[in-house]
Amino acid sequence: MALVSGKRNIPGAAASSPANVFAAVGNRLMTKVLLIEDDSETAEEITAELADRGFEVEWSANGIEGLDKARSLKPDAMIVDRLLPGMDGLTVIEALRKEQVRTPVLVLSALGAVDDRVRGLRMGGDDYLTKPFALVELMARVEALLRRPAESRETTLRVGPLELDLIERTAKRGDRVIDLLPREFRLLEYMMQRSDQLLTRAMLLEEVWNYKFIPATNLVDVHMGRLRHKVDGPGEAPMIHNVRGSGFILRAGP
Amino acid sequence: MAGCDVPPLTSTKPSGQRDPMRQAQFIRSTTFHWALAVAGVLAVFIIVLFGFIYWKIDDYLTARSDRVITVELDSIAGLSPERRLEAIDEKLRQDPRRVQVVAIFAADGHRITGNLESLPPHLRIDAPAQGTDVIRTDRKGSELQTVRAIARRMRNGDVLVLGRNIDEAGEISHVVGQALALGLLPAFCLCLLAGAWLSMRAQKRVEEVNQRVQRIIAGNLRERLPHRNVDEPFSRLAAIVNGMLDEMETMIHALAGVGNDIAHDLRTPLTRARLALERGRTNATNLEQLQAVVDKAIAGIDQSLTIITALLRLAEIENSRRSAGFGSVHLHEMLREVCDIYEPIAENRNIDLRVHASEPLSVLGDRDLLFEAVANIVDNAIKFTPDGGKVRIELIRCDNETIVRVTDTGSGISEQEREVVLRRFYRSDKMRNTPGVGLGLNLVAAIVKLHGFRLAIHAGPGGRIDIICPDPQPSRVALAAKI
Repeated sequence: MALVSGKRNIPGAAASSPANVFAAVGNRLMTKVLLIEDDSETAEEITAELADRGFEVEWSANGIEGLDKARSLKPDAMIVDRLLPGMDGLTVIEALRKEQVRTPVLVLSALGAVDDRVRGLRMGGDDYLTKPFALVELMARVEALLRRPAESRETTLRVGPLELDLIERTAKRGDRVIDLLPREFRLLEYMMQRSDQLLTRAMLLEEVWNYKFIPATNLVDVHMGRLRHKVDGPGEAPMIHNVRGSGFILRAGP
Repeated sequence: MAGCDVPPLTSTKPSGQRDPMRQAQFIRSTTFHWALAVAGVLAVFIIVLFGFIYWKIDDYLTARSDRVITVELDSIAGLSPERRLEAIDEKLRQDPRRVQVVAIFAADGHRITGNLESLPPHLRIDAPAQGTDVIRTDRKGSELQTVRAIARRMRNGDVLVLGRNIDEAGEISHVVGQALALGLLPAFCLCLLAGAWLSMRAQKRVEEVNQRVQRIIAGNLRERLPHRNVDEPFSRLAAIVNGMLDEMETMIHALAGVGNDIAHDLRTPLTRARLALERGRTNATNLEQLQAVVDKAIAGIDQSLTIITALLRLAEIENSRRSAGFGSVHLHEMLREVCDIYEPIAENRNIDLRVHASEPLSVLGDRDLLFEAVANIVDNAIKFTPDGGKVRIELIRCDNETIVRVTDTGSGISEQEREVVLRRFYRSDKMRNTPGVGLGLNLVAAIVKLHGFRLAIHAGPGGRIDIICPDPQPSRVALAAKI
């Protein structure tokens, strides 16, 4: 995932206004997602789920048509299957990138090989999801792609009462200083850059701990438990929320 | 002729073994072609040898004849003209084999005496001995002979011709030719026969092997190639192939076992999912109950998928040739990182997790995979250590090797379990109730093997697993060279 490009990744306007995506819906400027996937049943499920979440979805069952649609519709994000009739998914992405189209792309694939992932990302894909996947995971990743933190020179992250100084490496909730271990600091930084977004365990493992595999023990929950214990002090409104079976969200308000 | 005893024992063509016209095949076989080639070379060699012998003998005989006739000519020439005639007559009388040619001609060319009709036209006078054709005439008639002859003009003008028939040389060549035929033909035939025999023997062996292999292909995995206890290429080859077949038989059986294990491990969560769905369909009365049922089913399916993913990943690592992407991995840093990640989990269970890696050591490898291997071992160690126990990650430097050691105060892995623990899906009985797919140590073993490292599992009490990373070969050689 090419989400984090440095320590100074600060959420831009898009991320700090929580319901950006949904606000767009309100403005009748729906976020357009192009899905290129040859299995119609999978496509149907994905389309329905995206539509439920307020996206405008276009579907192509093959690579050539998909590429045409990507050029004409100018979608905000794309979900591309790796193996497609007509034209390989990676070829589609490569073609678009050559035309300087920067649309974020999530690559889907039944091929889980590590080298394959690397290839998918090198060809210009922004994220990679191996089939079979949970719909929640897919949605979380699409929204993460759409609300990618913009490059920023700010050195302090703020979410509600929470404040993270990236230079001093200190954290505060209101006036209370939070004492964080380096690994906890890294986790909180990642979450604050993506506040109000669902962050799945797999996303956290890949991005925060740089894990390329799913460990047997639920590492994420244990780490998150510790962080939550420090962030949400007694008597304070909880900011870190556990979304059952899916992941975690950091929210400013209750 | 030694060459024909040992025609090369090289391979025979195994192609077309099922051809019923096997008898004719030995002619096409490589062994036979080799025998033929050896026989040919041998024949050429013998012919050249005999030719050389003939040429040498011929040369020698001619030189001797020349010397003899020169000496005789000198002695006759030294006599007075009358005595010369007597000597010539005497000489002709003493020549029962009719090899002598001697005559004296007057200056005008007519014959004074001797057994030559006339002075041979090509014979140069006062020259050294030379070969020429003459017509020899005596009481028994005249005949054309090839001789070595010498002619000299006497002081009185007569020309004395003295010669010697060299048909002897012809006889010698005849004898040589006979010897050649006697020696060469049997040798050549022997060669061909030996070639044909070896070829047929090889064909027979190949056919025998083919039949056995056909039986193996047909599914009889117990079948082995015929193997005689002699040190001979075919037997050695058969022994090698048999060794391979033994290994493969074991592997196939193991694989079949794994297949059963996979089926079992997949069936368990799928059965749970199915039962939940089935019961939910009939019994759920509201949405919440139905959702609970579906959650259960999804969990079952997810577990099956996890098993499949783990298997695919194992296969991927086992089959990969990723050494091209290897780099220097700083083990001390990596171990700290593993410890850092697992610390909260250990803390939750009141387990004392510590890393002892003071020395900065690095090995050549794939960082992500090595991280995964160590993380897996540590994960296991924490899982099987009772609350309040200890887990240590150590980095040890020994002669020529670096060791990553993970010890715990858990039950350890017993002697009997050590081998089986590396089998796919093996979970000791005490593990059956712990979450996990049972592929963890397999994965570790596969990663360790990919790097050319070794995995050592020590017997209890307490668990201890070592990843032994030997130093790369070249440096060891260089070290040895220095000493």
